[in-house]
Amino acid sequence: MNIVLVVTQLLIVLALAPGVLGLVRKFKAIYQNRVGAPVYLPYLGLLTLLRKQMTITRHSSWVFRAAPFIVFGTAFALALLSPSVMLGVIRPSADNFFLLGAILMLGSVFLVFGGMDTASTFGGMGSSREMTLVSLLEPSLFIVAAALGAMAHTFSMGGMVSQFAATPSLIWIALPTLAALLLIILAENARYPVDNPATHLELTMVHEAMILEYSGPYLALLEYASMIKLTVMLLLVMNLALPFGLLAVPSGAAGMLIALVAAVLKLVIGAFLIASIESFVVKMRFFRMHEYMSLAFLTAIFGLAVAILI
Amino acid sequence: MPADFVPHLFELALVAPLIAFVLAIVLRGGGNVIVQALLIAGGLSGIAGVIEVAMSGFPPVAIFPSAHAGFMVTGLSGFFLGLIYIGVILTSLFACYYVPHYQNSYAPRWLNAATALFIFGMEATVLSGIVIGFLISWEIMSLSAYFLVIADRGETSLKAGLLYLVMTHIGFACLMAGFMLLSDGNPWATWFDLAQAAKLLNPPTLAAAFLLLFAGFGSKAGLVPLHQWLPYAHPQAPSHSSGLLSGVMLKVALFGFIQSLSLFPGMPLWYAITIMAVGLASALFGVAHAAIESDMKRLLAWSSIENMGLIFSGVGAALALATLPASPALAALVAGIALFVTLHSFNHMLFKSGLFMSVGAMTAFTHTRDLDELGGLAQAWPFFSAVVLALVLSAAALPPFGSFFGEWIYVQSLAASLTSMPLSLAVCFAIALGCVGLVAGLAVFAFVNLFSSAFLGRARHAYHHVSLGAALPKMPRLMLLPPLLAALLLITASPALFMFMKGGVFVSVPRALVDVSVASGASMNAWFLLWLALALAAFGFLIDALMRTAVRVTDTWDCGAPLTPRMQYTSTGFASPIRFFFRALMATEKSVVAEPIAPGNPWIARRRLEWTVGSVWEERVYRPLSNGIMYVASLITWLQSGLIQEYLILLVIALVITMAFAL
Repeated sequence: MNIVLVVTQLLIVLALAPGVLGLVRKFKAIYQNRVGAPVYLPYLGLLTLLRKQMTITRHSSWVFRAAPFIVFGTAFALALLSPSVMLGVIRPSADNFFLLGAILMLGSVFLVFGGMDTASTFGGMGSSREMTLVSLLEPSLFIVAAALGAMAHTFSMGGMVSQFAATPSLIWIALPTLAALLLIILAENARYPVDNPATHLELTMVHEAMILEYSGPYLALLEYASMIKLTVMLLLVMNLALPFGLLAVPSGAAGMLIALVAAVLKLVIGAFLIASIESFVVKMRFFRMHEYMSLAFLTAIFGLAVAILI
Repeated sequence: MPADFVPHLFELALVAPLIAFVLAIVLRGGGNVIVQALLIAGGLSGIAGVIEVAMSGFPPVAIFPSAHAGFMVTGLSGFFLGLIYIGVILTSLFACYYVPHYQNSYAPRWLNAATALFIFGMEATVLSGIVIGFLISWEIMSLSAYFLVIADRGETSLKAGLLYLVMTHIGFACLMAGFMLLSDGNPWATWFDLAQAAKLLNPPTLAAAFLLLFAGFGSKAGLVPLHQWLPYAHPQAPSHSSGLLSGVMLKVALFGFIQSLSLFPGMPLWYAITIMAVGLASALFGVAHAAIESDMKRLLAWSSIENMGLIFSGVGAALALATLPASPALAALVAGIALFVTLHSFNHMLFKSGLFMSVGAMTAFTHTRDLDELGGLAQAWPFFSAVVLALVLSAAALPPFGSFFGEWIYVQSLAASLTSMPLSLAVCFAIALGCVGLVAGLAVFAFVNLFSSAFLGRARHAYHHVSLGAALPKMPRLMLLPPLLAALLLITASPALFMFMKGGVFVSVPRALVDVSVASGASMNAWFLLWLALALAAFGFLIDALMRTAVRVTDTWDCGAPLTPRMQYTSTGFASPIRFFFRALMATEKSVVAEPIAPGNPWIARRRLEWTVGSVWEERVYRPLSNGIMYVASLITWLQSGLIQEYLILLVIALVITMAFAL
């Protein structure tokens, strides 16, 4: 592992993350014939939060204070370990698909703890829903991992991406698997049709209901963590679907620039994709979520069947 | 070769519980400290023996060779003995404080005596080299477990104990029949004789023996449909005994099963598929119930069914892979799944006994096991809650705990095997992978529910002696220590086991800090993950130190009306989506009961919601079965005429038939 390259990749992801959210919002505003807030607004939002005073409820324990750090730590680990901008810099035992799935789960669990530790009904409601969603997504995640592994003959995500880059025809076989992965990513990142990140009513929310009681720097950590999570997962899907510009062999400043431009381009496409989905799909009722989960699972199984048979 | 004193270490470990048994009966008040010290000493001596034997690559060691009991330590039994010893040390340490604390509810003398005998039974079962010795030890273990279940002499315990007693004897009968089929009726046969005799048997007899043994060991391990006793019996025992029952005794059943599998000359594929299917069904069923359970100890008992199901499914998967034409890739996969079975058995013992003891420590002060009443314990016991959090995360198989590594290997091996097997088997394995995913997800749900309902937020109900909001007494060190030890072992033991396996039983040449290749294209590195977690923790502390912002302590946002503790989500409320999504599996019944207050006016009524979670197996399997038996019995009641002459005739007929068979 080349430390310099690992850190560069990490910094690129960390720097781009708030911009991705700004882009999604911008595209959504354009769909709705609005001008929309500038793309850099989430950066300013985070900076403002960092300077604010915090309120902490007296009914909470140390878990409430530890949760933002652990949630951020898991997002940080995701950004550190996943092959988002360049390939071959992380050793194959570290960017294992199942490992990253488990780190993701750890982050969700602590988000839930943070929500439950506030002694508020909203927190409990969001927590119960989030926990249901992530636990029911697990089977689809495993099947998607198996399908990608069957196609790429490895469970290392860097290995998967380089296999997809080496054989462009693989993308046609992988289409159902990538669709299932997209369904998983929408649910994991609290987007439509599972969760509405921009509603005014806490009763209908999942992610925002859990972090309702957080404020100031802790809120900034949690918000930043969810931005990083979205960016990393978006880059993963995009790297599998459009594996261009990835710096296979690190080759100086020019190669780095290409990789950076490619990453930004992929994020723009990804943000547009999410904004489009959110503009044409309605949010589903929570108690119909098992239909969504079944859809994700069946798509994943179909993808696995295709991957094994062809 | 191990040194000469090694057999004596095991002999000491085997004899110590027997001495403890006698002392517990003789000494006043059960001689608690002396008995527990003896049990711990026995465990430590056994651990020393296991380490010594493992260092020299598990050569067979004969224990008490002059007694002709065939007691023998081999590679397999060495591992399971180590597991028993560690479980015994942890729970006995806990009992030092716990048993005197509850001396009015339990009779310490009989509790300690039963515990000691139970431990002896488990060790002797694992050590036994001959069929009759195995069966007798098994029965000692089962019977003394019955006395642990009924230790508080309450109505519920007696009922649960009776259920356990019946089920365990059905299992025992199956075991006896299975072994007798294999050994051709010779109870003195050694395992080697058994394996030799089994080679001469025809496939139908072997199949019958397999099914009988699977039913016998499966009923002890809590596999469906013979799991019915486990969620009733395990929670009724005192907490440290529940830890032994769930953490250790179930592993003895697993040991017995694996050992008897090695007696069969060949394994048809359907054996493996049966084991896998039953294991997965148990895992799914157990975890679904664990997710919606609000009694802490029953939640843990359901989770034991889940974990044993997972382990058995692993055994089945490894056997299924072993039936395929041999290749290096397949051998690696089989070794990977075997490593999962080993790691998960060990980790499950640690976190399950640790959690049972933690629940015991909590209920010793809160006097309730109901998650719907608890809450806010993390404020009263910050350090204790951190220990329980570690155990809970490890029960949910999350990184960086040992149980995660086990499950990681398992799912990778399952996923990697899909491309190298015939299509029909690949379908089975893909379904298995999906099931394991669902089980893993719901296990996280169940344990998040457990921790957040008990420790987070505010107390939902006044504890019996402690008024709402008042501080609970400090957690005694002796109650804190065993769960803490379990949590520390959970973090460190699995990476250490990787090195422990060096050149040995399961994986080829793993060394510290080097990637372990699980299967083709799948490698893992436990140490890297631990370092990453440590580095991230240090990084977090750094951010926390740098981030000095003003903090204002306030009330939870209440929309303008004061919040009460009853407005929080309870455990039941938390699990309501799962109950809804899996309602077909649960047999939930829900109804609104209205009791009129004013006579004559049906509208003014006190309404309350009543709901029960039934058991699908009880309704669909047990009830029809018992109805069927009752029906058959009612058909032959005409025999019971009450005339003494007729009974005499029946007697003669029975005698004649018996003679005809015997001659």
